[in-house]
Amino acid sequence: MIRQSPLILLFKLTLISALLSVISLPEMIQSAAPYWVLIFFIYWLIYVETKAVYSFALLLGLLLDLLHGNVFGQNALALIGSTVFIIHVKKSFYVSNLSTQQVYVFVASLIYLLITIGVHLMIQGFDFSYLIFLAPITGAILWPIVHSLLVKLKH
Amino acid sequence: MRLLKPLVSALIAIILIVLDARFSYLDNLKRNSTALLSPVYFLVDLPSEMMNWVSDKGSNIEQLISENEQLTNELFELKAKLQIFNNLVLENQKISRLIDASYSLPENAVKLARIKSISQSRLKKQLVINKGSNDNILASQIVVGANGVVGQIIQSTPFYATVQLATDPTQHIPVKNVRNGGRGITKGMASSKGDMKIEFMPFDADVKLGDTFVTSSIGGSYPAGYPVGEVIEVSAPQDEAFLLIKLKLFENMNELEFVLVVSEPL
Repeated sequence: MIRQSPLILLFKLTLISALLSVISLPEMIQSAAPYWVLIFFIYWLIYVETKAVYSFALLLGLLLDLLHGNVFGQNALALIGSTVFIIHVKKSFYVSNLSTQQVYVFVASLIYLLITIGVHLMIQGFDFSYLIFLAPITGAILWPIVHSLLVKLKH
Repeated sequence: MRLLKPLVSALIAIILIVLDARFSYLDNLKRNSTALLSPVYFLVDLPSEMMNWVSDKGSNIEQLISENEQLTNELFELKAKLQIFNNLVLENQKISRLIDASYSLPENAVKLARIKSISQSRLKKQLVINKGSNDNILASQIVVGANGVVGQIIQSTPFYATVQLATDPTQHIPVKNVRNGGRGITKGMASSKGDMKIEFMPFDADVKLGDTFVTSSIGGSYPAGYPVGEVIEVSAPQDEAFLLIKLKLFENMNELEFVLVVSEPL
């Protein structure tokens, strides 16, 4: 487990992931890009012992909604949904090898995607780029790289 | 008990979604909170700003003279075209008076803004510009590019404003056919890059491939006469009540660098 203050680490991770998530990319790449904030938040959930994880998920999601101009609460709900899954598999995740962790990241990203699409469907209808279905896959593929970089950041 | 904490958080999120999507209670809160996030936008856009700055400073005198000559030539050409345009406007006003038309071509004040290198939600078609409420950029103002309509301001903070592109499915623009004045309403298509469709045009409407559609002032949200797009597909599906018309936007949203925000009439 990480000895650094959980809040300081969360602040660092939030800042980096928020910056990554608003960097302008070509439309195709942007649609298929991983959910950076979710991936960084997963790392924080797994390697930090803290309470009130759902309140942090809610706040972080609301921050993301503001930053991306989404419906207020959409990312928050998605992040809470993914957090429920990650907390459920936390012990297994912590001791798993990277490829098993990738599967967990994929499922968490899929939950995130399905919730955001669900909210989008209810508000706006069925009209979006199908490339967004690639986001859980890219998230899982990039997890080992993100993981090794975050290990350095925690120190 | 174990599920109580996530349930409470999820319930708060759902309430916020309903309040934001169905009502406008959170608009002020969102606007003020987004203003606090300006430093994040600033940080992300910093490399792009630096590149622009270096590019501006790096230009030598010969380049500037050459650019100046080119711009002077373009200015002359545009002035010549403007005279023709002014004549057309005068003729249009005369005809409008004669037929007592409900639409006219008002003159509007415009502000130049630069597109920021900031990405927005992947489920929406939005972009951020470098002017905000400090420059009197307000929500609902129209944004146009060099070739046609770009979209509408949906949120303005002191330093930045968010533009919802015309290709977003929630963006509807009242348009008319330049050839015969036939009216319809556009709707963006998120699943199709740079295209939009025109809704509510009856089967007997005269629409052909290549027809140009411009904004009409019906509803008062968009000033009339700005080019929107060209018809690339017309069909009459049997199970539909209206024509299915696909429009290719004149403005390429991926190549935009500068836009004009159309504010109040002069």
